[in-house]
Amino acid sequence: MSRRVPSLSKTIVYSCPYVPAEWIAAHGLQPSRIMPDPTRSSAPVGPVEGMCPYVRAFLNEAINDKQACGVIMTTVCDQMRRGFDVLVRRCEAASFLMNVPSTWQNFAAQNLYVDELRRLGRFLVRLGGKSPTPDGLAEVMLEYDAVRASIRASRAYLSARQYAESIAALGQEGPSLGGKSEIQNLKFEIAPRLPLAIIGGPLMWSDFDIYDVVEQSGGQIVLDATETGERGMCGPFDRRRVREDPLAELANAYFGGIQDASRRPNSELYRWLAHELAARAVRGIIFRRYVWCDTWHAELQRLKEWTDLPVLDIDVVGDTDTERRRWQNRIRAFLETLT
Amino acid sequence: MRDVPRQITLQQWDQRYEQMQKARIAQPSYGGRLSRHVEDGDERLLKLRYDNSAAALRLWNFLLTEEDRLREARDRGKKIVGTMKDLGTVPVMAYSLDDVVAFYPDGAWWIPCVMELNAGLLSIADSLGIDESFCPVRAMLGAFLTGAHFPIPELLICSVGATCDDFSAIAQRLDGLGYPILWWEIPHRRQAEPGEESVRLPGGFSAPRCQVEFVKSQLQRVRKALEEFASQHLSDEKLSAGIRKANQVRRLLAQLRRLVFTARLCPMPALEMLIAEMLAIHFCSDRDETITVLRELLDEVKGRIKDGTGLLRDDAARIFWVNPVADLQVMNLLEDCGGRICGTEYLFTHALDAIPQDLPPMDALAQMALADPMVGSSADRASRICAEIRRFHAEAVVISRIPGASHCALEGQVIGEIVQAELDVPVLEIEVPSLTDSITQALRTRLEALVEAVRERRKK
Repeated sequence: MSRRVPSLSKTIVYSCPYVPAEWIAAHGLQPSRIMPDPTRSSAPVGPVEGMCPYVRAFLNEAINDKQACGVIMTTVCDQMRRGFDVLVRRCEAASFLMNVPSTWQNFAAQNLYVDELRRLGRFLVRLGGKSPTPDGLAEVMLEYDAVRASIRASRAYLSARQYAESIAALGQEGPSLGGKSEIQNLKFEIAPRLPLAIIGGPLMWSDFDIYDVVEQSGGQIVLDATETGERGMCGPFDRRRVREDPLAELANAYFGGIQDASRRPNSELYRWLAHELAARAVRGIIFRRYVWCDTWHAELQRLKEWTDLPVLDIDVVGDTDTERRRWQNRIRAFLETLT
Repeated sequence: MRDVPRQITLQQWDQRYEQMQKARIAQPSYGGRLSRHVEDGDERLLKLRYDNSAAALRLWNFLLTEEDRLREARDRGKKIVGTMKDLGTVPVMAYSLDDVVAFYPDGAWWIPCVMELNAGLLSIADSLGIDESFCPVRAMLGAFLTGAHFPIPELLICSVGATCDDFSAIAQRLDGLGYPILWWEIPHRRQAEPGEESVRLPGGFSAPRCQVEFVKSQLQRVRKALEEFASQHLSDEKLSAGIRKANQVRRLLAQLRRLVFTARLCPMPALEMLIAEMLAIHFCSDRDETITVLRELLDEVKGRIKDGTGLLRDDAARIFWVNPVADLQVMNLLEDCGGRICGTEYLFTHALDAIPQDLPPMDALAQMALADPMVGSSADRASRICAEIRRFHAEAVVISRIPGASHCALEGQVIGEIVQAELDVPVLEIEVPSLTDSITQALRTRLEALVEAVRERRKK
């Protein structure tokens, strides 16, 4: 799997699923969602007691990224919000903190999200982007939408890892460079395996082994509800609304369509999970969380109380061989008990 | 003539209380021996040292009888609102209504300390999957489930958005357990960008007008919910009256802090000052009594300054303290080590700043909510800390980490760097759990080293 390729246009890096890549691309800039790899970056931000390993890895990746002309972070989690304070002091690239509301049940919160997209647009223009026309935005949105539809349609023919990598490739490289061609070429023979879901925050590159380990142990991730997986992809656009008011539809699909543990209340996440778990006949759940990620950690027990399915808790602190062996063994044991 | 100021034990306070009784010194209805609270389980009180003034006794008794006050309010038919996280804004609105009492269930974070873990609240939180990797505010879950530490409010209102993840996650867990919450959004405060109108907020931060308007719209939702809850119209006039009353509290605290932090001899210990500051956030469930308690404390401080008396050594190191301590005893410890508090930032400085009275009340409250130091950047917070250090001539800073709190992992580094760069004062970062007994020696060593560093710097 390739990592982010150098592009001729200016690159804007980000991490949060609530940042629409289409919006950046429509400004004529190259969006690239960072998938941190703590094993390959130098670490200007060292380990700190209480700090989420993903936040640390993201900061190190962003600070080390000399190609990026802009970095976007969001307020979806407090550690990321605080991480922005570190970023602005250490990073040479221009940086932007986007307010993503936690609440969603009132119009004011939805309007705030749209206002923040407009403010992000002004930031992108300051970095050399061009404010898109409605038609220009609509065109980019439909292009992304088509690739996402193709990725979704290919789920049955891809391994869980290939599926996750396709989603990641779209985020990292965009629709023209991303997973499209690879999807067409990939064929995966799916042997009957125990259907599982993986739920949690974002994965790092080095964590993608988890899909292989599950398969080698007799399981198959049929629902990738991580932030970097299917859960973090916005839903299909309404084509009529894309033509009428593309920015509103963009906001609707992202802010209204991506369910996350950070939402208040986060009841929609459980509604979404109930539907998807049943639809895919999931038999067990791998709950993967970073140590010090309060948002997901607090959902673990609640999820166990909510579902009749067995739940395996995988907590990770970073990228150590010992830790890797530990979670690999736990997954194998989990699958043994299920089969 | 006043008694010579000194810090005394709980036992000594009981003896002193007997003397006061014999002298027929009047006590408020909630007055009495301090040790009676130990019988209720507040065992940490046995290990603290207290100021020996009658004003301090009143302060402590006021604090430690809040639960009784809340239950009495309910018995009298008053409605109880649980306000969460915003630390100071929503209670101003709630207390503007008749027969409504508001308090912060968040305050349960001190129960594990005060009851020395005997209440079992943290075990309950553990059983709900909220373990020690979260901030001690997780005790709030146990307090709700047992119903033993405060009456369960009929309405819960919680700010969310630019808040710490611990609290947000714990409040969500509470919501999931069947305690429905009205969530309102507080966005991350930012500077106005070119073309945007900038508003200077109480306390000195600034924000774009659109953020003030957004927060106002959120507080309008809260206002409507309060009106429905109380079956009353919350008019602008009532809100303005509530703001004036809150400002009375804030003015008293401002005077108290200025006098205590700038006096040659420390006229009031750190522990009592911490408790006094806390009264600002929800008036300890009785706004009028809060004013009386603070007035007495202020009179005591003025008297001591006039008499030229005080506590601690006159060369005590002047320390600025960042974040509240989970273990109250650490305030005593700092003084044992030769320090005194000269400036604080206990996460709620916005509850100490006067609310603008020359604005429509909802605009004023929105500005106040946005002035919360925790909704902005750590750099913003550091700039205010620097201004206060200059104002109170503090010589060193202690950043007290709250175990597990999401903001503590990174903010200390940023605040420390900025303070050192701007003011060149020593900065010490420590972590204070709910009970520090097992690490007292380590904390003492570090605080003593800081005090020593301050004294060395004076020689240069």
